Amino acid sequence: MLWLCLQFPKLPLEVLTRAQRDGDRKTAQAVVEEQLIVDANRPAAERGVETGLTIATACALCADLQLLQRDTRREEQQLQQLAQWGYSFTPVVSPQAAGSIDAGDNRFACLYLELSGCLKASGGLQPLLQQLKRELRQMRISTFMGLGHSPSAARMLSQLPEHRQWLRETGTPPTAQQWRQWISFCPSKLLDCDNKTIAKLYACGIKRVSQLLAIPLSEVGSRFGRGFVDYLARLNGGRHDPVPSYTPPPEFHNELFFPSPLDNSEQLLFPAGRLVRELCQQLQRRQLYSQQLRWKLDFGKRGCKVFSVETSRPLLDPQRLIALTRLQLERLTLEQPIQALTLTCDRLHPLDQQALDDDLFGENTALQRSHQLLDRLQARLGHEALSGVTLRESHLPEQAWASADTLVLQSGRNRKGHQLNPVNAPRPTWLLQRPDKLQSREHRLFYRGEIKLLQGPERIDGYWWQHGRHGRDYYIARGEEGGLYWVFQDLTSEDWYLQGIYS
Amino acid sequence: MSNAENILQNKQLSEDSRHQRLSRLLARPDIWQAANGVSPENSRRGITTGYAALDALLAGRGWPRGATTELLVNQSGVGEMSLLLPALAEMTRREQMVVLVNPPFIPYAPALASAGVQLEKLLILHPRGHKDELWAVEQSLQSGCCGALLSWQGRQAPVDKDLRRLQLAAREGDCSHFHFRPASTATSPSPASLRLGLASDGEQLAVKLLKQLGGRSGQQLHLARNPDLTRRDRPLH
Repeated sequence: MLWLCLQFPKLPLEVLTRAQRDGDRKTAQAVVEEQLIVDANRPAAERGVETGLTIATACALCADLQLLQRDTRREEQQLQQLAQWGYSFTPVVSPQAAGSIDAGDNRFACLYLELSGCLKASGGLQPLLQQLKRELRQMRISTFMGLGHSPSAARMLSQLPEHRQWLRETGTPPTAQQWRQWISFCPSKLLDCDNKTIAKLYACGIKRVSQLLAIPLSEVGSRFGRGFVDYLARLNGGRHDPVPSYTPPPEFHNELFFPSPLDNSEQLLFPAGRLVRELCQQLQRRQLYSQQLRWKLDFGKRGCKVFSVETSRPLLDPQRLIALTRLQLERLTLEQPIQALTLTCDRLHPLDQQALDDDLFGENTALQRSHQLLDRLQARLGHEALSGVTLRESHLPEQAWASADTLVLQSGRNRKGHQLNPVNAPRPTWLLQRPDKLQSREHRLFYRGEIKLLQGPERIDGYWWQHGRHGRDYYIARGEEGGLYWVFQDLTSEDWYLQGIYS
Repeated sequence: MSNAENILQNKQLSEDSRHQRLSRLLARPDIWQAANGVSPENSRRGITTGYAALDALLAGRGWPRGATTELLVNQSGVGEMSLLLPALAEMTRREQMVVLVNPPFIPYAPALASAGVQLEKLLILHPRGHKDELWAVEQSLQSGCCGALLSWQGRQAPVDKDLRRLQLAAREGDCSHFHFRPASTATSPSPASLRLGLASDGEQLAVKLLKQLGGRSGQQLHLARNPDLTRRDRPLH
């Protein structure tokens, strides 16, 4: 077993400031919880603001300090997100949340990854560690890591500077003998136990773990309790060290928070791009796709706005998804400043090979381009502005066609089954939205001048068994200017109507 | 190889490339070759209209490809759609999309299907507002996956700059753009490569060539309408 422990010391700050551009990072910012500073960014730290100070002291040190309330819910979400990210490397992942400050527990949030199964696929230990670091840097999450043969050991060693230095240079995972040496070398204050136990250890003169391991276990047990002996055994590898295993949910959900609310949709593009890239990475690794991206603009207490970007085909190209999102954003007018941006995809489908448009050899490009065009049009004009037409089986002319969803456009060629045939009679190319009543005087009909009947009648009598009977005599008529019209006389009311135009 | 031979070969090569460049230039649809007249190898082949008499009048022996065609018609009903339907049906059979932007009425599916149009390839757009409409037309023309795009001039007449842009977009995407406009715009200049005035002449559709790039204009043509429509029964009234 080879466990990697990734600790996230700056998570409370980073979940709140991750969405900022580089230019905004010059203001001093600090996260507070219960009147105490939890974390501070670099400009603030340079002026002496550090963890554990009270707000009053911190503000005295740095007058223009921006205080952000700690949001543990958001941290938890981010940790889940990171676990999902880690899941793309190895199937054995376990996230552990940070301790809360009021319980006196200042452990950082961390993530355990079991690496022994994925070294080969990633090209060895060092390339894997480099990749992990690089991707975390892209996500703007700072981390330090430790490697161990059990999660507890990995966690303890991640706190040891010498071990981290060694990890930066090593190329091969160490042997069991080396683990023992590393563990023995650790100072006792790094042990994962409460402050009282550590004080007790130091009072006994035990400054290093090696000294502790030299004492017979029964004596350690009588002094520090059974739990401590258990912990030592797990640390040493003498006992199993179980951690809760993580299974990824079948959806993507991520949120970016803006410390200073945005009031311009242009500014949204940068954080939106970051979310889309994270989504695409995630989807590609799990071989899934989503046809709908749901964006939520959170106005804080003043409600929220939801819009969705739909793609007609599986799309894993972040650039194109961002372009589609941009088209939607351009249509929006923001009434309120935005506090957070959320991206949700709740229906992820497994990707099959035929479904993906990105053909390596550029075949089928016409079809691909038509999908892209449809997506673009849909994103800017809205779903309702696009339609197609299909045939329907009906005697009534106005019911012999139906407005089709644009998706029918796609499946048209593959669809099999009942094929409808149009009626074998001259029908007009244009149909009026609803029949237009004609003026009639002394057996003469008028529509932009007098019209004369040429042919007819063709009787269409439908739904006589129902309440509203449709009995009509259809004629082809010509207007004064030569236009050909399709007119009918209602048999019950004897009124004349114009229904179509032979254009 | 001697020096002289080398020079001779170089000269030949450069002449070849110059000839190639010239022929490429001549193949452009917006270059009008008045001297050569209309010969099939010199002009780009158009899309056959389905009416032999009309094909004979048009420079490319059909609707121009990758260019705007303006159809000036005052009142629908004279047979303007049936003029286009054979070409549109052919395009949809070749798996090309046909886009209708803001048609004045509902395109009636049974009539289109019996004319041979594959309905799955038909896309109808109803953009709201003039700006969105121009955007949608330009995007569709440029996309390269549409065979033809039909648009109708709305209440707001497009300015010359927009028409030019659409013409360019049509060339870029190699899409035939058919633009229906009222007959009153016949006098105003337009960048379209073909302008036809359509009117009814009693029983027939009168087509007048108002402008044609790379060909003669001013001819009149009368096309008979579908005899099924114009057949006269015994008068009833």
